[in-house]
Amino acid sequence: MSRTFLAVVGLLYVFMLAPLVVVVVVSFNAGTVTDFPPSGLSFRWYAYALSLDLYVNAIITSIWLGLAAAALSMPLGLMASIGIARGRFPGRDALQAFFLAPLATPGIVVGIALLVSYAAVGLRDAPLRLLLAHVLITFPFSVRTILASLSRLDPSLEEAAATLGASPAKLFWRVTFPLIQPGIAAGAIFSFVMSFDNIPVSIFLTDVHTNTIPIAIMSYLEYNLDPSIAAVSSMLIVGSLALALLLERIFGLRRVMGM
Amino acid sequence: MSRLSVRALLIIPPAAIVAGLLVTPVLYLLRLSFFKSVPGRMDLIPGVTLFNFDKLLFDSFYLGVLFNTLWLSCLITALTLVLGYFLAYFLWRVSRRWKMILTLLVVAPMMIGIVVRAYGWMIILGDTGVVNGFLKWIGLIDQPLHMMFSDGAIVVGLTHVQLPFMVLSILAALDRVDHAMAEAAETLGADRLRTVWHVILPLSFPGVVAGCTLVFTLNMTAFATPVLLGGNGTHVMTVLIFQQFSQIFNWPFGAAAAVVLLGLTFLVLFVFLRLVMRRAAAWMEARPEENAA
Repeated sequence: MSRTFLAVVGLLYVFMLAPLVVVVVVSFNAGTVTDFPPSGLSFRWYAYALSLDLYVNAIITSIWLGLAAAALSMPLGLMASIGIARGRFPGRDALQAFFLAPLATPGIVVGIALLVSYAAVGLRDAPLRLLLAHVLITFPFSVRTILASLSRLDPSLEEAAATLGASPAKLFWRVTFPLIQPGIAAGAIFSFVMSFDNIPVSIFLTDVHTNTIPIAIMSYLEYNLDPSIAAVSSMLIVGSLALALLLERIFGLRRVMGM
Repeated sequence: MSRLSVRALLIIPPAAIVAGLLVTPVLYLLRLSFFKSVPGRMDLIPGVTLFNFDKLLFDSFYLGVLFNTLWLSCLITALTLVLGYFLAYFLWRVSRRWKMILTLLVVAPMMIGIVVRAYGWMIILGDTGVVNGFLKWIGLIDQPLHMMFSDGAIVVGLTHVQLPFMVLSILAALDRVDHAMAEAAETLGADRLRTVWHVILPLSFPGVVAGCTLVFTLNMTAFATPVLLGGNGTHVMTVLIFQQFSQIFNWPFGAAAAVVLLGLTFLVLFVFLRLVMRRAAAWMEARPEENAA
């Protein structure tokens, strides 16, 4: 590969990583404004960020919402995938497309459709509004990873268990389930990440008391630019990268993305 | 009850979720787009009117927003395609040992929230940001360049968001291409550029089409990046929709705007795919003669 080509590739890597690097660098800024390069090294913005109710409450909301969404969407994804992969009925391709539809529908459309529908049925409880929405948008990720695991499964293993007299329940829990565990875990972790990062659906469903962390950062950004956002963002970057590495190890990040 | 029908029953709970929380709400949204909208009134007045669509498609302001959205989406798709092809080709050529970590470096940012990445761009492009600081330091400018809260900032931010999608789409196609193909072309005397243009690009064309389709759709419907980097005055459809629902409270008009946005997205993709298929067919037919010449 020629030098010019490698230089272009190098610049593209700088482009990809620069916005993340500057956020981490600014988070250690001792100054009061977001200037670059920082005037000194300090953890003060981390301490300040963690003293603000806005961030702390939003982080707590995002964590329970992500965990609950992942916990609920995992069994739903499992049911959908087993039904598609092992059931014998016509139209299974169409059914798969139907289950992946929440992924294919633009987030803002899901957000406003749920906003008007919740209003129509009088559902006002923000935590419940968010939870239902996040289960909807995260369960296709489980469908995708579990289906990928099931398609790689050697059918002779299940047939052997059935021939040897295992009941359907026993066959599932003793043979199928252990073999597709990486897909289930990857789906759940990815669901958590996607729930945690979501903006276009959440923004229409939060209220004054219930805010998720990306929405809290967005509203804070409207009036402030101080490095406390960088501190919170850096914590999110570290957390996301840790989960990315975990996903890469247990399942492969490209497979999780379905590409 | 047989085992197979028990398995078929498993699909009922997830199907109910999609039907209840996606299909019904989207149909209700569609219905809402035909409601009469009265500015300043919160309650919805049922009815069937094309007023909202008439305003969206024939008022020069809204038509301008629609064209700006389309123009930005096409521009970012084209940019992402060129840059993404470089990266994907590099990842295809690089040795197996480095491929995993270098691919991970491109994909991992997808796991980091949009708001965090947009904030990173604010630090870089802001009036007191990295770029302005550097340009001042080398003495090129006295006054900061205003780069934030513009269509340019949206282009930079969205290109950053979409690049991994494009790279992965193209790489998926490239990974199916035998490296021996490139070697054969080079053995026969083609230089690197000719090899890429005449051999690699056609073979990875399905990935290019898939990447462009995906990235264009994501651009048309991108919301957080345009709001954060373009500011509230941004003339793109998603920001307009957001304002109708959250600030102006004209829900029927916002619903109609969403319908128009999706309609335009499908229309453009339909035309694009038709053209691409025709072009690809012509390409394949022209091939033998070209090789003979």
